[in-house]
Amino acid sequence: MMAVKLSYRNILRNRRRSAMTALAVAAGTQALLLFGGFQSFVFAGLESGAVQRTGHLTVFREGYFLYGAGNPVEYGIDGYPRIIRLIRDDPVLRPLLEVVTPTLSLVGIAGNFSPTGSAAKTFLGTGFVPSDRAHMRRWDEYGASSASPEADLEDGDPSVGFVGVGMGRILGLCRPLGIADCPPSPPQSRDRPVAGAVEEDFSDLQEKAGAANDAHGRLPRLDLLAATASGAPNVVSLYVKAASPQGVKELDDNVIAMHLSLAQQLVYGRGEPKVTGIVIQLHRSEDLLRARERLKALFAGEHPSLDVREFAELNPFYVQVKRFFGSIFLFIALIMGVIVLFTIVNTMTMAVMERTTEVGTTRALGVRRQGVRRQFLLEGGMLGALGATAGVAVAALAAILINRAHLNWTPPGNAQSVPFHIALWGRPGLIAVTWIALTLVATVAAWLPANRAARLPIVDALRHV
Amino acid sequence: MVPNLSNRAPPADASHETVVRLSEVEKTYRVGQVDVPALRGVSLQIHSSRFSVVVGPSGSGKTTLLNLIGGIDVPTGGTVELCGRDLRALSDDALSDFRARHVGFVFQGFNLMPVLSAYENVEYPLVLLGTPAPERRQRTFAMLEAVGLADQAKRRPNELSGGQRQRVAIARALVKEPDIVLADEPTANLDSRTGASIIDLMHEVQAQRRTTFIFSTHDPQLMSHSDETFAVKDGRLVSGGAEETA
Repeated sequence: MMAVKLSYRNILRNRRRSAMTALAVAAGTQALLLFGGFQSFVFAGLESGAVQRTGHLTVFREGYFLYGAGNPVEYGIDGYPRIIRLIRDDPVLRPLLEVVTPTLSLVGIAGNFSPTGSAAKTFLGTGFVPSDRAHMRRWDEYGASSASPEADLEDGDPSVGFVGVGMGRILGLCRPLGIADCPPSPPQSRDRPVAGAVEEDFSDLQEKAGAANDAHGRLPRLDLLAATASGAPNVVSLYVKAASPQGVKELDDNVIAMHLSLAQQLVYGRGEPKVTGIVIQLHRSEDLLRARERLKALFAGEHPSLDVREFAELNPFYVQVKRFFGSIFLFIALIMGVIVLFTIVNTMTMAVMERTTEVGTTRALGVRRQGVRRQFLLEGGMLGALGATAGVAVAALAAILINRAHLNWTPPGNAQSVPFHIALWGRPGLIAVTWIALTLVATVAAWLPANRAARLPIVDALRHV
Repeated sequence: MVPNLSNRAPPADASHETVVRLSEVEKTYRVGQVDVPALRGVSLQIHSSRFSVVVGPSGSGKTTLLNLIGGIDVPTGGTVELCGRDLRALSDDALSDFRARHVGFVFQGFNLMPVLSAYENVEYPLVLLGTPAPERRQRTFAMLEAVGLADQAKRRPNELSGGQRQRVAIARALVKEPDIVLADEPTANLDSRTGASIIDLMHEVQAQRRTTFIFSTHDPQLMSHSDETFAVKDGRLVSGGAEETA
C-alpha cells in the first residue's frame, strides 16, 4: 500500500512530465484501439458477407473443393434431400442451425440474342432455393452487414434469376435492367461470323429443349449453355429480373444466380438432380467448430465420401484481408510499443536521477534492492496504466464521433463503398489486451532505470547532489 | 521531558554490552586511477546506551566511519561487528533487513521523503518491518509527540522548518526502537539555537531509551554532551580507540 501511495505521489510530483508521458501512452492506446476497432468492423463485415453467401459450413463430395469446380457433374451429391434431413434432424445440430439448403455451382456460357443486342459470355452460375437464400442474407450476428441489395426470387418461379451488374452490362442488358453507368458501346460490325454462329447454335438447342416461354412479359431473356452429365450441351432460358451488385468486380462481371431446379435442369437434364454443396448457416459463428466436428462424426459412418469445409476456406479473400489487416495492426502496435518504451525509459531515467538521494535514504533505512526496483517498476506501470486508461477514454469518444459522421470507404477490390465504422464497443478483448499490453510495455520499460537505481551503492546515492 | 516512547522496557544494565566493534578497519576509495585511503587501521568498541561522538576535521573520515558502522558501506579490510554480527558476512538483503531492524539514521540534510507527510515519514520504517497498522499508528503518533510535532503530522517536509524536519528525521530513526542511531552532523544545517534544541531532544531521548547514539560533528555543543569522544584525523583514530574504550 505504501509502495502504491509513493508511486502515485511521485507521479504527481512532476505533473507536466508525467502528463506528457501518459499522453504518449494514451496516443499509442488510442491509435491501436481505433485501428483495432476499424479492423474488427471490417472483419465482422467480411465474415457477415461470407456467411450470408456461403453459410458457415458447406458439405461437398470429397475432392470437389480441389477439383470439382471444373466438373460439377462428377462431384454432385447423390440423394442430397436425405442428407439434409439427417443434418436437420440431428439433436446436437438442430439447436445450432439457422439454414440448411442445397446449392449447385456451375459454369457455362450465357447469351443475349434479343433484337436489341447480341452478346455471349462465360458465367459462374449458382443455383439455390430462393427462400433459403433470402433467409441466409438476413444473418447479421455482429450488426456489421453491408450486403448489397439483391433481387428477390420466388420459389415457385424457377425460370427467373438475376445477374451481376457487370454481367448485365456486358450482355447488353443496360436498358431493360436499368443499369446505371452504361456508356454507349462502340458500333458493332455487321459482319459477325463468330457471334452469329453461337446464336445459331443456341437457337437450335433451344428449339430442341422447347424452352420458349413468354409468360414473363418484358423481362429480358438469357440463354444459358452448359455441358450435361453425359457431356452433351444443354440450354435453358433464364428470365433476368434484375442486375444485383455483388460487391466485388470479379463476381459482378461473372455471376448469374438462378433457381436450383433451373440449374439442375441445365446440368443434369432429365437425369437424377444433384447438388454440389449443402450449405449450413448457424445461429452463431462460435458454434462453427462444434458443428463441424458433429457433421464429421455424422458422416463418418454412412457418408464417408462427404467433406465439410468452413466459410474461410471457401473465401480466401476473407483470410487474406484478415492477414493483411493483422500485419498492419502488428506494425502499428510495434511502433506504438517502441514509442511508449522510449518515453517511459526517458521519464523513469530522469526520475531515478532526481531521486538518487531518496534511493540512498530508503536503502539505508532497510529497503532491499528488490524493493527499490519494485518501486520504480510500479511507477512505470502506473504511468502506463494511467495513459492507457486515458487512451481508452479518448478512443471511445473518437469512435463515437467517427461513427456518427456516417463516413464511407471503398475497400480494395470492392465495387461499392461500405460504412467506415469503428467497432470498439462489444470488443472488450481488444480493449483489455491493448490496455494490458501497453501497461506491460511501460512496466518493462521502467526495468532498466529501476535496475540502475537498485544497484546504486548506498553511499554514492546519498552523496548525490 | 520526553514522554515514554514505547512499551519496551529499557535494558536493566546494558552499558557493558559492546554494540559496535571495529577491528583494523581499512577503507580505500578509488578516484580515477588513484587509491585514496579514507580510513586506516581503525579499531574501536562502543558500548550500548552510550552517547558517543566522532570528531575530526572535514575529510578526516568521520562520515566513512559512520557509514561502515551503519552497514551502508563495506570496508576494504578489517572487520565491523554490530550487535555481535559481522556485517561483511551478511548478504545485501540480509544487511538491508539488519539495518531495517537495528540501525536508525539521521542525516545532515534530513533526507525526508518529500512526497510523504511528517506522519508517513515516521511511519515508513515500521511499514518496512511489517508492523501491524494499529501498533504502527500508536507508535508513530507517540514518536511525533515525543519530538513535539504531533500537530504537524499532516504536513509535508517542504511545509516544515529545518529544525522541524530534523525532528521528523529523529523520530523516523527512533520509531523502530533501533539498537543504534547514527547521526552524521545532524546540526550542521541548522542555526545554533535550533541545533541546541535538537541536541537536547536527542539527549533526552537517549537518556530515556538508553539507545546507543553515535554522532559525527564539528559542533562543540554536541561534544560537550557526549559520554565518549572519538577523534579521527587523516583516516586514523587519534583518540578514543579500542584500547581506551575497552
